[in-house]
Amino acid sequence: MADTILKLNNLRKVYIMGNKKVAIKAQEAIHKLHHAYEKAVSKNNTEKISEIEIRLEKAQDLFDKEKYVETYHFLTGKKIKEGKNEKGVVVHALNGVDIDIKKGEMVAIMGPSGSGKSTLLNMLGLLDEPTTGQIFLRGVNVTGISQNKLPEVRSSELGFVFQSFNLIPTLTAIENVMLPLRYGKTPRNERRALAEKSLRLVGLGDRLTHTPNELSGGQRQRVAIARSLVNKPAIIFGDELTGELDIKMTKEIMDLIVRLNQHGQTFIIVTHNPEVAKLCTRTITIVDGKVAK
Amino acid sequence: MFEILKNMWRRKTRTLLTVFGIAIGILALVVMGAIAEKLSLLVDGGAEYYKDKVEISAKISTYSSPLKIDKKKEIEKVDGVAYVAAETYSLLSDNITASLGPLANIISIDEKSNDYESFKIRLTSGRAITASDRNKALVGADLVKKLKAKVGENIKIRGKNFEVVGIAEKTFTLPDTQISVSLHDGREIMYNELPELLRNTTKPDDLVYGFIAYPKKGVDPNKLSEKIKKEVKGVDTLGPKQFQDQIASTMQTFNSIIYGICIISLLVGTLSIVNTMTMSISERTKEIGIKKALGAKNRNILLEYLTEAGVIGFFGGAIGIALGAVIVYLVNYYMEQTGDKIFLLTPRLLIGSMIFSLAIGVIAGIYPAYYAVKISIVKSLREE
Repeated sequence: MADTILKLNNLRKVYIMGNKKVAIKAQEAIHKLHHAYEKAVSKNNTEKISEIEIRLEKAQDLFDKEKYVETYHFLTGKKIKEGKNEKGVVVHALNGVDIDIKKGEMVAIMGPSGSGKSTLLNMLGLLDEPTTGQIFLRGVNVTGISQNKLPEVRSSELGFVFQSFNLIPTLTAIENVMLPLRYGKTPRNERRALAEKSLRLVGLGDRLTHTPNELSGGQRQRVAIARSLVNKPAIIFGDELTGELDIKMTKEIMDLIVRLNQHGQTFIIVTHNPEVAKLCTRTITIVDGKVAK
Repeated sequence: MFEILKNMWRRKTRTLLTVFGIAIGILALVVMGAIAEKLSLLVDGGAEYYKDKVEISAKISTYSSPLKIDKKKEIEKVDGVAYVAAETYSLLSDNITASLGPLANIISIDEKSNDYESFKIRLTSGRAITASDRNKALVGADLVKKLKAKVGENIKIRGKNFEVVGIAEKTFTLPDTQISVSLHDGREIMYNELPELLRNTTKPDDLVYGFIAYPKKGVDPNKLSEKIKKEVKGVDTLGPKQFQDQIASTMQTFNSIIYGICIISLLVGTLSIVNTMTMSISERTKEIGIKKALGAKNRNILLEYLTEAGVIGFFGGAIGIALGAVIVYLVNYYMEQTGDKIFLLTPRLLIGSMIFSLAIGVIAGIYPAYYAVKISIVKSLREE
């Protein structure tokens, strides 16, 4: 009985995280099945019990096969392809990449220039759409989400740190950090306090009202990290985040990243720097748009 | 909002030039609109004045020879006429200058017309003119400054001293530029203006400029106007409908010219907003990409840039209205000395101009904002 209930709950999780209409139907179907199972057990209807158990077994198989369990598969990219049509020739920047990121990992994506690592990061970070393939975030097929809903996922689930910091020059450090909160659902009166907390976390509590051009390169990148952290995202993507920093600054920033990772923050970092990759828990190498074996 | 203002201030000169482009358009709209408002008020006043009477004057072909009092009996005989009042009209000065409103003039009307007249003029001080008055005058509101008129003091009318017995309240229409005298004095003035040849063939007491026919109760003044014109020889009539028709076509032409000029200047202003915003967006492509990557929805971006364009429109409008109001005030102040105020700033003109400038800003912002929305995140982030 307990085993059957566990299976039912697992199924419920999967469906709820998918398409809303399908989820509602599935929820109803699961509810009926659950009800029928309890009824069959109370009446000791062995024939009915075994019929339901067979149906549940099949569903569990399907569930295991699809591997959608949140605990193990935090971010999954399946057969991602990205094709650019240039003068009639389809060039794949990514050609069937399969990638699986676990919660709390700090993954380095490495590879030669033009191998498609930044393209992969853009796909996984939902900044661009793959031509084919699917991306699942905590079991939800985010490639199936409508364009209108994507900004909500970006502001609540994802954080970005870019090579050239990408701060808005007219805004102060705290205003830059408040941006994702502004676009998310954080109430106006809570934004400043959260942004301030985030800036203090990266050691910039005394630079709140400085504009980017009043800060050093390392400080700017700290502001960018504070901005990526502010709404507690599931994953932070870093695209060559130490690319414009000297060795000392790189060490400072990576120390901060490692510290945040140790506190459970998941990172996916595209880098050329083997020293940066060494600090990560895992390295994925991309060559010619594919994961190198 | 503060962020939007900071963004606008990044390119001060360009923003200021655009704001001034709109300001000039709105300035034109305010100034021209103030003329249209003044005229419209005059027309409304005229329509109110003519709504229940028929104005009778000498036929155009016999204009050089004024009407005589004996016509009054002929008009009175027309069925439907309750009373016929004689009136005189002379210009205050022979120096005719270009004017958008009525010229300052001297009128006199048969005192008995007061029993039939529905258009009442109130006085700010003094009293009205009576039939027995000699060399006494009631001065219209717009002529007080020009003539330095004060009750009890003399003013010069056509070289003669007249004692001011009353000052009329402002009506925003014809009576504001009129001096009322008794019918006797009005005839004297008219008589003295006639060429010598005509003076020898007439007496002042016979002389009138025209008549006002008041219809009996229930009689349509438009029909009465037609009837008088048909039955009384040598006269032209002007009933309420004719007044409206004449004025409406003139006003339509005038308004078309005025608003045509405004639309052209505003079109230029609008295009300059489109240009400024498009340039500003192309300079900020990367920022738009960053904001989108951080979760900005299309409507956030759209709203941001539409607001920025709207703010340009707002400032342009505010400056244009302020400059326009200053010009209107100064010209009116100067013109008041000559009794010919040509502008009228009304709340609807000011509010309308403000809304219009805001709307122009927002409309001009639609294309650039849409352009911003369409920017691809990945491409914009690649920009240096």
